[in-house]
Amino acid sequence: MKILIIEDEQELLATMKNYLESEGFLCETAISYFEAEDSLSVYNYDIIVLDLTLPGGNGLDLIKLIKDRNRQAGLLIVSAKNSLDDKIKGLDMGADDYISKPFHLAELNSRIKSLARRRHFNGTNEVSFNEIKINVDSNEVSVNGENIDLTKKEYLILLYFMVNRNKLITRESIAEHVWGNDISYADNFDFIYSQIKNLRKKIGQKNGRDYIHNMYGMGYKFSDR
Amino acid sequence: MKLLKKTNRTYFVTSALAFIVFGAVIYFFLSFIFEGQLNEKLLSDRLSVIRNIDKDGSLPYFPPFIEVQKVPGQTEQPVVSVDTLIFDFNEKENIPFRQISSVTAINGQTYLIIVRDTLLEKGDLLMTIIVAIGVVFVLLIISLYFINKRLSLKLWQPFYSTLDNLKGFSQDKPDIKLPAETKIDEFIELNKALENLKLKVISDYQSLKRFTEDASHEIQTPLAVIQSKLETLVQYPDLKKDQAELIKSAYSSVQRISKLTQTLLLLTKIANDQFPEKRSVNLSDLLEEKIKLFEDQINGKSLTLKKEIEPDCFLETNFFLAESMIVNLAGNAVKHCITGGIINIRLNKSKLEILNSGVPFSVLSSKLFERFFKVNASSESQGLGLSIVKEICSLNGWKIDYLYEDNQHKFIVEF
Repeated sequence: MKILIIEDEQELLATMKNYLESEGFLCETAISYFEAEDSLSVYNYDIIVLDLTLPGGNGLDLIKLIKDRNRQAGLLIVSAKNSLDDKIKGLDMGADDYISKPFHLAELNSRIKSLARRRHFNGTNEVSFNEIKINVDSNEVSVNGENIDLTKKEYLILLYFMVNRNKLITRESIAEHVWGNDISYADNFDFIYSQIKNLRKKIGQKNGRDYIHNMYGMGYKFSDR
Repeated sequence: MKLLKKTNRTYFVTSALAFIVFGAVIYFFLSFIFEGQLNEKLLSDRLSVIRNIDKDGSLPYFPPFIEVQKVPGQTEQPVVSVDTLIFDFNEKENIPFRQISSVTAINGQTYLIIVRDTLLEKGDLLMTIIVAIGVVFVLLIISLYFINKRLSLKLWQPFYSTLDNLKGFSQDKPDIKLPAETKIDEFIELNKALENLKLKVISDYQSLKRFTEDASHEIQTPLAVIQSKLETLVQYPDLKKDQAELIKSAYSSVQRISKLTQTLLLLTKIANDQFPEKRSVNLSDLLEEKIKLFEDQINGKSLTLKKEIEPDCFLETNFFLAESMIVNLAGNAVKHCITGGIINIRLNKSKLEILNSGVPFSVLSSKLFERFFKVNASSESQGLGLSIVKEICSLNGWKIDYLYEDNQHKFIVEF
């Protein structure tokens, strides 16, 4: 799967590229409006990550170009302006999703994979990890072939883990992913522990292994190592 | 008071005063002239009488106007002028007369000559003047009223239409054509001044808006770099525990700065009125939806949640701001409620009340809404939540109050 990342902040660009490449994506980059124009007119991409604030032009104008040349590509807009106008305009012009800076890399990865699934680029609507399988269309979760009942939040956490497998995911990132930005009003993340405790219990009941590892009190890693 | 009413009132008062002075002047002037003429006439009548006596010795007698008597042996006396009342049998009333009398020697005879004429009655004169002036005054006021009314409709028309345009002016719709067409210099100047003011307001607003967005971009981008680097760093296998601790504390500080920046920008945007889009918001649904966000925390602290939410309470406001207000108030209640306590949320069409059990604050409750104020100084909260709520309330013209009663902190928003 080929991704074009259009981002003028080189440091951020490098980190995004590394992270996404470690997730198995093929990444190309553009650091200005003109570079982006060049790449878009020559190559086809499956997913495009576009920062709206670019030197040399407005990112919103690029959306038009993307929709002309790369109609089938999934488009994720990144903006630091946190400006509602840009968000609405971008989505109106045909962007598929919007993420504002600063974002968690796990969140970026999760959004891109969700875009990929929605477009069935990899021909499947299933996310699986050993004995655990999630059907993202029907939201059904099975362990060792047996369905388990998860609450909406448990489901979101499990899917987030499985999409970002083998990576440390911070508690802040989980909280924002599942509860939204409003969760910053919470004092502590105790409520995440209880969700994860329930999740472990439900998977354990169907003889699933416990893949959720607590890492340095900072977050969790979902892995079989 | 309307401009027209004010001008009419001023015209009325000043012309009334002018007419009173005018009347008094006319009155004294007229009576002075009349009296002068009367005296002259009486003196000339007396001379005619003297001439008649001198010519043929006849004594004219036309009471009460001319009376002549022979008064032998009296010495001559000069002319004396007096005002007197004489009863008139025809009109059956006393009538004021001026008389001049003298004892004059003619051809060796002495005569008492009395010449009289009616004095103009002062009351009559006054009455006549008052009536005449009154009629003129009323006519003047009526015509002024109609002239003003016509003028203000026609002359002030550009002013009123400019006023209407101004009322409809808002920063997010800067295209409005402000000045109305006019040929009057003052209005042309007013329109020019307004046009300049409008351009300045629009450009100030735009640059402020651009500034907050640029500031946001300039701060959030480096934060995004730091955050993503830390998230990458922590992925390295075999991190030592103390290394992980360092990353963890740097990471949580980045999170705090990022939230703080967002909150400060939000405050600035609210203060600059950068949330112009208003629509009818179903506050009841919004409240129910947002309460769900806090379910886990409510369960975690074993709180009891009591809701009295009247369905379908609509408010004309900005959706994002309404959401922000509810999340802040409800989040505070959950955060500050003592473990096992009670949270009460009540909503009807006129007010929203959010209560939580807790111990009273040791500080002045009026400080609660100040920026960066924290009841517990060591707390990790930003101390900006209630400032945001207050800004949102004042932007919407709502009233926010805080009370402590029955061991409960109570926040009331009146719409």
